[in-house]
Amino acid sequence: MTGESSLSGKSGALLRIVTMGLFLAFMVLPVVATALFSVSVRWDRTIFPEGVTLDWWAKVLSERGFQRSVTNSLSFSIATALASLALVAPTAFWVHTRLPRAKPLLEVLTILPFGFPAVVLALGLIRLYSPLPLPVVNTPFMLVSSYVVITLPFMYRAVMNSLEALDTTALSNAARSLGANDWQIFRRVILPNIRGGMLSGSLLVFSAAFSEFALANALVGTRLKTLPIYLVEFTRFDARQASALALISFTAVWLVSMALLSSPARRTSTPGLSAPV
Amino acid sequence: MLRHFRLAWLGLVPFLVFITAFELLPLGGLVLSAFSDGGGPSVVNFVRAARPAIVTAFANSTGLSLATALLGTAVGLVIAYLVQTSRSRRWRNVVTALSTVTASFGGAPLAFAFIIALGSTGMITMLLGLVGIDLYPGFRIYSVTGLIVAYLYFQIPLAVLLLLPSVQGLKREWREAATSLGADGRAYWLRVGLPLLRPSIASCFCLLFANAFGAYATAWTLTGSSVELVTVQIAALIRGEVQLDPALADAIAVLSMLVMAAAIWLQRLFARRQGMASR
Repeated sequence: MTGESSLSGKSGALLRIVTMGLFLAFMVLPVVATALFSVSVRWDRTIFPEGVTLDWWAKVLSERGFQRSVTNSLSFSIATALASLALVAPTAFWVHTRLPRAKPLLEVLTILPFGFPAVVLALGLIRLYSPLPLPVVNTPFMLVSSYVVITLPFMYRAVMNSLEALDTTALSNAARSLGANDWQIFRRVILPNIRGGMLSGSLLVFSAAFSEFALANALVGTRLKTLPIYLVEFTRFDARQASALALISFTAVWLVSMALLSSPARRTSTPGLSAPV
Repeated sequence: MLRHFRLAWLGLVPFLVFITAFELLPLGGLVLSAFSDGGGPSVVNFVRAARPAIVTAFANSTGLSLATALLGTAVGLVIAYLVQTSRSRRWRNVVTALSTVTASFGGAPLAFAFIIALGSTGMITMLLGLVGIDLYPGFRIYSVTGLIVAYLYFQIPLAVLLLLPSVQGLKREWREAATSLGADGRAYWLRVGLPLLRPSIASCFCLLFANAFGAYATAWTLTGSSVELVTVQIAALIRGEVQLDPALADAIAVLSMLVMAAAIWLQRLFARRQGMASR
């Protein structure tokens, strides 16, 4: 840093520290408050909590409904990540190597989910599929399919970035000269080389699906409760157990983000926007 | 050759079938239904949508998105600048890690954390009261202002992640060239740094706008239906709480898609320009 006149003096350094401090406090305090609240006996009348307890945690963890909601959330998110991989990875490989002229079309189709609210997709699916004689709208299949749609931007970008970083032509030609067919090339040569992108794509997809609320609530909410739906119900009648649940959700997202940060393909992943906002 | 070309498209069939079934048809159906009155093409549903509650919802959603996109981008830029100009690499790692995690915090857990922190008996509310700052009754977390604060929690880190690469991409030589021509820090940023960053800032703003406009879970957990927002209205129409008027719901949904798609289209436009500028 050379001659940063505005921020080089003593007051500049102070301003820098205060700004950073406020930013860090804003980002950290709500989570810390939630954590403290979840282990407090009571904390709405006094500055400090009236005693420490693990009762709320014990209660939350022993609830059947909680275990069911975590199981539901985990299965939906894992299913979404796997389905997305199975759909996007071969397609991206095919477009990249065989049909580059279809790339602009795929770009538009996969960025589209950023261009509408999730509740609009829920409305569209219900309006389209609920008149059918078969009950397909309120099924895990429909929920996972809708999750694959809204997480397409993450998976497609992550996989396509790692494909574009490869010399797929040289790799394919080399494999073909050794007698491999298309499927073998994809399975044995390309897949191992785009593992990083597939992993970071899957983590982003998993994290987004795990905390998604709007679609789950509209499509399966009444029958199959996911963790966010369960949490919203608790915020309405038991704040202490809700704070423990919120902390569990934060921890899950934090773990996935840390995995993402340490994954080899982190540079190629799209930042942010996986928030179930 | 022609046969080869057609065969290549066959490889896309599974993907295109999936996209058609779960993205294009559902959304296309909404558009068709919104533009018809049962008999033929018509805009009558959009005329009917111009009622006070819906106009308020669009005004609130737009205002909330503009405010949090503007504040988020501004604060994110300041943080990115501080990180870039700080001497220690550790700061960069801490802020990047923190931003990556918190940009993905959202929805119900976040809304609830803000009730615990900034509700009327919240931790920060009481701490501030201790030093003589009374938030209540001037401020309420269950209000539009409260929503702005909560949304900023994921908007600011997202802006940091989006802007940091561009801020770091400003070349040292440009700075040295400006300094050798007599520019001080302020002149460099006003005349060189910020103009170079303009496409990145604009694309960040658009993305944050769309991010806030489509948000639902945070607002629903925090304010329920007491603050009219577009997504909250659409969700209420899905539950059939308000009234059973599908065509009207479709019209509102189509309008919300127009707003968000426009924001994303602009974002792509600016992002492309940003790509050209950094070449």
